[in-house]
Amino acid sequence: METNTQHKHITENKLELPTSFPPLPSMGGYVLFAGIVRDINDGRQVTHLEYEAYSEMANQMIADIISDTFKKWDLQFAECIHRLGKLNLGEVAVIVNTGGVHRDEAYKANRYIIDRVKHEVPIWKKEYYVDGSSEWSQGCLDDTHNH
Amino acid sequence: MKIQLLSFAALKDYFPSKQELVLDGIHTVSDLKLYLRNLNPEATNLLKISRISINQTIAKDSDSLIEGSVIAILPPSSGG
Repeated sequence: METNTQHKHITENKLELPTSFPPLPSMGGYVLFAGIVRDINDGRQVTHLEYEAYSEMANQMIADIISDTFKKWDLQFAECIHRLGKLNLGEVAVIVNTGGVHRDEAYKANRYIIDRVKHEVPIWKKEYYVDGSSEWSQGCLDDTHNH
Repeated sequence: MKIQLLSFAALKDYFPSKQELVLDGIHTVSDLKLYLRNLNPEATNLLKISRISINQTIAKDSDSLIEGSVIAILPPSSGG
C-alpha cells in the first residue's frame, strides 16, 4: 500500500487552496504561498512534472521546519504541504500558509519555510519537455535563495 | 555489516532504488561514498553533491554506519 497519504505534509492528492482562514481571533495577517507548475525552465518548454520524495523523512523535516518557525516568530499559524506524483501545468505543487498578529511575521515566516523546504527537504522534481525528453532537476546550488 | 540502501531521483540512473548490501571493511559514510563511486564511477559527480541519511537523519562523512540501518543517498533537493 502506498504510504504517502499517511503523511500530513506530503500528499499525492491534488492540492486545494484554502477557502477560509484558521479561526484564530488574534490573527491579523495571513500569507498564502502557492508554488505552481510553470511551462518553462532554463529556456526549455515544459509539458509536466513529476515529484518524488523520501516521504517519511520529508514529512518529518517539514514538521521540524515548522517547529523552528514557531520558535523564531510569534506566529498564530503555520502549515506546509507538498504534492508528489505527476503534475500538469498550472497545478499547485506546494502550499505554505502562515498567520501572525501582524503581517510582518507572517510574511517572514512564510518565506523562511518555503526556502528551507526547497533547499533541504528530500523532494525531487523531474521535468518533461515538449521534445519528449525528460530530466531530473539538478536542485539548487544557489545560496542567494533569490529564485 | 548489512544495510539497506535507498537511492532517489537521478541516483536511480546509477543504482537500484532499494538494495541490501553486505559491506566488508566499510565503517563510515565517507567509506560508503568511496565504495559507491568505485561501484559506479559515472555516479561520482552526483555522489559528491548528495547527502546521506542514516535512519532518516542527515549524516556527516565521519559518522559511523549502523548495522541493519536504512541508508539513503539524497541528491540536492528540488521540491517547491
